[in-house]
Amino acid sequence: MSPLDAPVKRGGAGDGLPVLGAALARLDGVAKLEGSARFALDQPVEGLAHAVLLRATIAAGRVTRIDAAAAEAAPGVLAVLTPDNTAPLAAASSWTGAPPAQPQYRPLDAEIFHHGQQIAAVVAETLEQAQEAARLILVDYEAVPAITGLDDPRAGDGDPIDMLSKSWGDAAAALDKAAVRLTLEYRTPREFNMPIEPHGLIAQWDGEELTLWEPSQWLDGMARTYAEWFGLRFDQVRIVSPYIGGGFGSKALALPHGAVAAMAARQLGRPVKLALTRSQTFTGLGGRPATRQVLEIGATAGGRLLAIRQRGWNETSMNAVSVEPLGSVTGLMYALPNFDSRQNVVPVHTVQPGAKRAPGENPSAFGLESAIDELAHAVGQDPLALRLLNDAEHDHSSGKPWSTRKLREALAAGAVAFGWDRRDPMPRSMRDGHLLIGWGMAAGTYPVRRTAGEALVGILADGSVEVASSTADMGTGAHTILAQTAAEALGLPVERVQVRLGDSRLPRAPVTGGSQMAGLMTGAVHKAALAAREVLIGLALSDPRSPLRGTGANTLRLEGGMLVAPDGTAYDVSAVLKATGRERVEALRDTLAENRLKPEDHYRNFTTVSTMRAPTDGDYSMHSWCAHFVEVAVDEALQTIRLRRVVSAFDSGRLYNPKLAASQWKGGIVMGIGQALLEEGLVDHRHARLMNDNLGDYLLPTNADIPEIEVIDVGEPDPHASALGGKAVGELGIVGVAPAIANALFHATGKRLRSLPLTGQRLAEAG
Amino acid sequence: MSTPRPLTLIVNGEPRALQVEPRTTLLDALRERLDLTGTKKGCDHGQCGACTLHVDGERVLACLTLAQQAEGRRITTIEGLAGPDGTLHAVQKAFLAEDAFQCGYCTPGQIMSAVACIREGHAGSAAEIREFMAGNLCRCGAYPHIVAAVQRAARALEQETLA
Ligand code: FES
Ligand code: FES
Repeated sequence: MSPLDAPVKRGGAGDGLPVLGAALARLDGVAKLEGSARFALDQPVEGLAHAVLLRATIAAGRVTRIDAAAAEAAPGVLAVLTPDNTAPLAAASSWTGAPPAQPQYRPLDAEIFHHGQQIAAVVAETLEQAQEAARLILVDYEAVPAITGLDDPRAGDGDPIDMLSKSWGDAAAALDKAAVRLTLEYRTPREFNMPIEPHGLIAQWDGEELTLWEPSQWLDGMARTYAEWFGLRFDQVRIVSPYIGGGFGSKALALPHGAVAAMAARQLGRPVKLALTRSQTFTGLGGRPATRQVLEIGATAGGRLLAIRQRGWNETSMNAVSVEPLGSVTGLMYALPNFDSRQNVVPVHTVQPGAKRAPGENPSAFGLESAIDELAHAVGQDPLALRLLNDAEHDHSSGKPWSTRKLREALAAGAVAFGWDRRDPMPRSMRDGHLLIGWGMAAGTYPVRRTAGEALVGILADGSVEVASSTADMGTGAHTILAQTAAEALGLPVERVQVRLGDSRLPRAPVTGGSQMAGLMTGAVHKAALAAREVLIGLALSDPRSPLRGTGANTLRLEGGMLVAPDGTAYDVSAVLKATGRERVEALRDTLAENRLKPEDHYRNFTTVSTMRAPTDGDYSMHSWCAHFVEVAVDEALQTIRLRRVVSAFDSGRLYNPKLAASQWKGGIVMGIGQALLEEGLVDHRHARLMNDNLGDYLLPTNADIPEIEVIDVGEPDPHASALGGKAVGELGIVGVAPAIANALFHATGKRLRSLPLTGQRLAEAG
Repeated sequence: MSTPRPLTLIVNGEPRALQVEPRTTLLDALRERLDLTGTKKGCDHGQCGACTLHVDGERVLACLTLAQQAEGRRITTIEGLAGPDGTLHAVQKAFLAEDAFQCGYCTPGQIMSAVACIREGHAGSAAEIREFMAGNLCRCGAYPHIVAAVQRAARALEQETLA
């Protein structure tokens, strides 16, 4: 046997191991490895026309004239869409279900709110023809001064978001009395999700039916938006998204370019393909907005936290409010008797920000976990010991007990594996030759969010099983863990389960975001699988020819295509189905009732986030936890910062597939490393223009930037968090990485950087 | 620029005749004309590596290569990597075993780079692999597993050669 074959072996009920929880390879893996997995833009659709977008070259003002004559006359051009020749669409309600502020929506608008806003589209027979024609369009503008970012004096202090105000105790009084008091300001820049698959779609009309092949983290939510834009019924829109080339929060909502593609396809009566260029993925949608937060921390001389007062600001676009909640974890991590947190959003001329992995928790933890390190230094304590000293026995913000919190275990396991006890606490004390070595750590958390799910499970005549849901697998492993769930429930090897996802015609699923997919969809699949088995057993018990007749429903199990009684009597599934004239039995189940919803909430549950439950909805406060330990090496002469190793321990509750969970955690850590050391949207403050709108200048981490990463699982099943005991996985890994690295950098150099990214230049400038 | 010309590309051992404009890239020719969509477009600017394939056995970025430039040369895409009977290449097997991908979008490019990286003799150590795989971005962050997969595949290929 070649060494390649061994670990690929798939577990299964047949070998006596539990299927759910086994470290199986991805079931959708081979298709992706062979190049046969067709992503949305890979779909073979007959008669495609190609569209490209033209963007505004000013950031504020209006388009006064578009001269498209030359473009229209160019070879192969089928249409040029502009604000002048396109009718407005109906405005759609928001993702929360809030009705639109205005009745109409213009995806091609003469009013300009940000640089790079789409203003026209060219559709041609070939991509090359469309690209060439787009260059021939002449645009006149009337520009007005733009607000370029949080630091622009004209931006002001922004608007308070009262919903985010949180307070308990008396933070002001406690701060006044505190023996130790620190006031610290932390900043994060504009960041971009940058999945390697660019955003784009193929739109096709068939009468009043609209089909969209589009990568989607939320098929049902996006289908609703398209339906509202075009005045269609929900079931007249079909979104197909079999695979998603990464999203990280950026592919959950229908975006302006999608509206344009669908408009063009309708106008031409032909399917239209529109892929954003890489540059357009920086301006056609936003990532994490720039943030600023001021933390005032009061503590005893011994390092016990007394109070935190927090003020936060995040930028938003001129025409929409996007919130990056900076107080998400500030009051949650530690025992904190007094807290006061407020946040403003500041409109600037930028594209509407979106959600990038752990929106809120991530920059929130950068502030808090850096500040805790600063406090540890101020009171002369080890940062790990200080965290344990301030450990929270319960959630101080809600007053509720934790469902499970293995943060102490994560801190302990990470510290041992890393060798934290060998750390010399003095900054600049550890060296490797001429390099300064820094060891830093930080903790992180991500909430357990819950929405009801729905799944169909069918048992076929050959004893195999089909699972179907509109949920998405963007690399999270949905195909695999849902097959494992059904296999476990039905006592089958996982090879006997087929999983179909990513089509809005399938049973509904809420947004694949907020790290809720695994918990809620395994619950729905488990429920549907048990229900399908009940139906099958019912048939077997009532079939007069069945040898199982009268043996009792709850003693039968499904094994290798047979229903088997405890005494070994077996009856073929195909015989049961044949005898009752069926090809299959199936059960469609949702978990609305488990989430205290009614059947009439069905549509709202799946097409808005209005039913998503807070982590404190119920008797417990439910969160995942983690601790990161990192080593950096700094060359002061060359101003280089290298990460040398990462050890992280996680409590994500029960893991449905530890191999895939490890990939999610590590992926989060890698994105956190990029955020900490590399990623920054640079704005030209004369023109409010993003200067580094490409992958050569907006630096994503490469393989050469990433050291060895060790991940440790310290979780145990959490019966409150989800039906099968899992908690959040996907977004947890990134939370706390940036502060761990900032803390290591302080340990290495004695210099504290409070603005991301942590670059050699900033280090040099810190004096 | 825009008059299509006839062209024959030898893709995965098969001659494929098509008409493309001189400005058409190899990437667009494969994806839009030949329905070979395994090779992915991530940036169209030579900055991400998603479009990596082999021309005469060497790794090349298809988005920076004109289809015309590849005329008469041997092009291997991800679709042509497995054996004729469908047996996965050692690198593909290793990617599955090590879970060296998540969304799978960068994966064809990673695999084509990895095959070349091993062939070039640059899979000697983890550090060397990181360096010679640095042109292929993976936003899912599968890098540590990609390194492990390249090491595993390099060992397997070495054993195959010895056997
Ligand atoms: S698509 Fe060719 S390098 Fe990115
Ligand atoms: S696997 Fe998603 S980008 Fe690499």
